[in-house]
Amino acid sequence: MDAAQLDTIVERYPGATGRVLGVLEQVQRRAGYLPRDALEYLARKLAMPLSELYSIATFYSFFTLEALGEHVVTVCMGTACHVNGAPRIVERLERLLDVGAGETTGDGKFQLTTADHAFSLTSARCFGACSMAPVLRIDNRIFGYVTPDKIPAILRQFDWEGNHHRNY
Amino acid sequence: MGLATCGIAAGADRVYAALESAIRKQEHNIQLRRVGCIGYCREEPLVNIHLPGKPLVILHRVTEADTGRILHAAATGDVPRDLALCRINAWDPIVGDKLVFGTGFEDIPAYETTPYFAPQQKIVLRSAGLINPEDIDEYFAVGGYTALHKAITEMSPADVVHEVIISGLRGRGGAGFPTGLKWNFTKEEQSLRKYIICNADEGDPGAYMNRNEMESDPHMILEGMLIGAYAIGAREGVIYVRAEYPLAIERLTAAISQAQRHGLLGENIFGTDFSFSVTIAGGAGAFVCGEETALIASIEGQTGRPRPRPPFPAQKGLWGMPTNINNVETWSNIPVIIHRGGKWFSGIGVPENSGTKVFSLVGEVECVGLAEVPLGTSIRTLVFDIGNGGLRGKAIKAVQTGGPSGGCIPASLFDTPLDYAHLTEVGSIMGSGGVVVMGTETSMVDTARFFIGFTDEESCGKCVPCREGLKHMLMILDKILAGRASVADIEILEELSGLIRKTSLCGLGQTAPNPVLTTLRYFRNEYEALVERSRSS
Amino acid sequence: MIRVVINGKACTAEKGESLLSVARRKGIDIPAFCYEETLAPYGACRMCLVEVVKGAQEGITTACTLAAAEGLEVLTQTSEIVSLRRALIELYLAQAPRSEAIRALAQRYGIQKTRFARKVRPDDPLQNRCILCGLCVRICHDVMGAGAINYIGRGHFTEINTPFYEESAVCMGCGACARVCPTQAIAFEDIVQTRTMKSWSGTRVPLHACSKCGRHFAPAPFVNYARQKLAPDLQQTPLRLCPDCRSREIARKAVLLSTGAAVAD
Ligand SMILES: Cc1cc2nc3c(=O)[nH]c(=O)nc-3n(C[C@H](O)[C@H](O)[C@H](O)COP(=O)(O)O)c2cc1C
Ligand code: SF4
Ligand code: FES
Ligand code: FES
Repeated sequence: MDAAQLDTIVERYPGATGRVLGVLEQVQRRAGYLPRDALEYLARKLAMPLSELYSIATFYSFFTLEALGEHVVTVCMGTACHVNGAPRIVERLERLLDVGAGETTGDGKFQLTTADHAFSLTSARCFGACSMAPVLRIDNRIFGYVTPDKIPAILRQFDWEGNHHRNY
Repeated sequence: MGLATCGIAAGADRVYAALESAIRKQEHNIQLRRVGCIGYCREEPLVNIHLPGKPLVILHRVTEADTGRILHAAATGDVPRDLALCRINAWDPIVGDKLVFGTGFEDIPAYETTPYFAPQQKIVLRSAGLINPEDIDEYFAVGGYTALHKAITEMSPADVVHEVIISGLRGRGGAGFPTGLKWNFTKEEQSLRKYIICNADEGDPGAYMNRNEMESDPHMILEGMLIGAYAIGAREGVIYVRAEYPLAIERLTAAISQAQRHGLLGENIFGTDFSFSVTIAGGAGAFVCGEETALIASIEGQTGRPRPRPPFPAQKGLWGMPTNINNVETWSNIPVIIHRGGKWFSGIGVPENSGTKVFSLVGEVECVGLAEVPLGTSIRTLVFDIGNGGLRGKAIKAVQTGGPSGGCIPASLFDTPLDYAHLTEVGSIMGSGGVVVMGTETSMVDTARFFIGFTDEESCGKCVPCREGLKHMLMILDKILAGRASVADIEILEELSGLIRKTSLCGLGQTAPNPVLTTLRYFRNEYEALVERSRSS
Repeated sequence: MIRVVINGKACTAEKGESLLSVARRKGIDIPAFCYEETLAPYGACRMCLVEVVKGAQEGITTACTLAAAEGLEVLTQTSEIVSLRRALIELYLAQAPRSEAIRALAQRYGIQKTRFARKVRPDDPLQNRCILCGLCVRICHDVMGAGAINYIGRGHFTEINTPFYEESAVCMGCGACARVCPTQAIAFEDIVQTRTMKSWSGTRVPLHACSKCGRHFAPAPFVNYARQKLAPDLQQTPLRLCPDCRSREIARKAVLLSTGAAVAD
């Protein structure tokens, strides 16, 4: 992201109320993460110590400091989804995407990206679609009533070509 | 067509597109509109059909394949019976004139006799799923902004506060503090600048009523805030919405600009010297930012670490100015209170607990969705009459209310009324109104571990009992679940629970042990069985 | 002036003053890790718990954030408070097993060892002593105005360091962080012309040479900062000299003044 783009984002927040998080959120949404040079530029522009922006970037779970995959698969780990089997969804996704097998404990926070950077697998705490638990989101689309067996078909909608190495 | 996040996830947007193109192609004299969600989430996608002189019919589980049939029937003055969920002959929007839809279709069950809706009383959700949230004219049509007009032109700020006090309304965001009294604190502060904040962080997993309120009836929230601002003497308001709710942000943003165009936000509202503006501030994924001092820090562009109170936000809040914070649903109750009077409102529910509460009924229950019932309704009514019992007939073991700050209530206590005092008495809290149903196969120790895992991860890390204490609780729970613990570990767990409750800086830590304490209280045998197992192995 | 009562003893205090500070003045011992007179009360370490028996909010609260008010009555050593403090100390022992300050306090409270799993990281820049009281972050930001370090992450993953764990461009090497740290967790060393903030990602800061003896004695950015902050007439001489030369210089001037000789620089 260049300075002009960042300036445009900052200009959208004329008042101080909600500005810092608002700007970072826009950068995260556009770039897919918070690039280091963007943080350094914004620290000067917003007249804040870089250490403070870095602290914010690592405090809020919406922000990431590394680029995510092209598609972001977010599994809800909220209560309703947990009760309705979210851990099994994560397990299957890990195997299908061939990431961090067994690294995630089935709950708690995680963020894994496939070797080819096509997908990132992350967790969230409730999308507010609990009535359809378990729920997962890919990019901006929410899928409800997910079962492990439905996942391959869902992934294929996002150009997933299947896991050739292993047979699941 | 019902188009809130849950409907869209169930495919409502595709059904909408199919209906739209079919209507355009066939030149039907049919008007297609978007509405929010009526709360029967299990039955999504929902389509409301209104034919002249006929009742409004709600169709459920509609798919793209049904659209042809629906339009064909509509063209001939009918509705497909197999899709019909219920009919509404007339509707009372409480603040406006009664809406009379029509009569007929007697064979379709009436809304009032549908088991899911019968025990409900819709005040906050009175228009959800019936009006287009993106159209201010539809809000006007159900009496929208008349309460604001009344407040500003006929009442003094003190009258407004008085009305809210006698309504007995208590905060819907967690602690249940009386709203009118809270307003008075900020009102009484002498300051040139004051703020009001709408807390739309909705961090409790399993609770999504605030999302629906924002997506289905955003003007109701703005109207409530306007009335509050007038009463308190604030010129600026902020709505703090979590990042996970993009559609809610979109609809609130649209509602704000419509209200501005109609002169309902801005300078000299209704030609008086009352002026008010609203800004939306976004969260970025931190549960602790629902706590008011962390929320303020977050709006100011800092990390969300709570600070000790006093000073309370009413004295020193956003940018150091007196600030009044209320939950989305609290604000939503204001227009009806002003319109119908505090006395009317206090007649709903039970003493000390007036009004209704929207509960999100989720988990292993047959009829998931949002249900609005008078406070004091029993858990049994909610879970069995409205929810129709366990999912696919399964037996129910417990419900968890109040999110990570709440507790697990066993089925044997399902006659407990859903009100602030009774929920506290059984060790849980009202919280934001999330009710997660758990079947008999659910392990309560695992459930407790789930919540401690949640609060441990969401702890801001500022104070030691919450940061370190929860970490050790989690390790002990893992040890118990792995069958490697002894009875002494259960005792340490209890001791840590007490320590964290008593010494934590903010509400997160002070309530975080509740899921462990309630499961220990009602399901101690499950802990002991796991400990027993480790002894014998 | 108002009167408050601590452990039955009447004390005078400024209205609104931190109760912890009143108690300290009176010599009443309340353990505290995150309080520093020059900084706003923070309320994080929870060691300064006291029980309010008469006042606006009765019950257990932290003394550092408790504002003195007329008639306020508190107890600082009830059995409940002591047992809560003991449990907190156990948590600290597990979190910062290498801290002598914590161990000393534990000893005073009769705690031999913690029941909780100890966290030991061999490569911890803060030497397994940090208890996240936040004093270093706050003094660096609020008092020195540098903002070189801050919290990173949240919950029990929180750490304190420089952004991106790289040498800081704004650290002045003043060492205020190390001075306020209650557990001596922050390490730095001066070698010839350079100060290295070992705990802060090895940030290096040049040392300023004394204009008289040539010895490198203070971080150059800090010397500049201090000169800007001081009154203009003081800006020149004193801070360019190392402490030894400065006192010699002051003595020399005093002698010359008393003998009436002209002061030559
Ligand atoms: C950890 C924590 C999280 C909270 N989350 C929320 C929340 O998501 N929404 C909310 O309205 N209140 C939340 N609260 C309660 C608020 O701090 C505050 O009491 C509430 O917004 C006041 O509004 P009310 O009086 O209308 O209930 C939370 C409190 C704590 C301690
Ligand atoms: S109780 Fe938890 S969330 Fe609240 S200040 Fe302490 S560490 Fe932070
Ligand atoms: S718990 Fe998963 S969407 Fe709410
Ligand atoms: S000194 Fe009071 S909480 Fe740390």
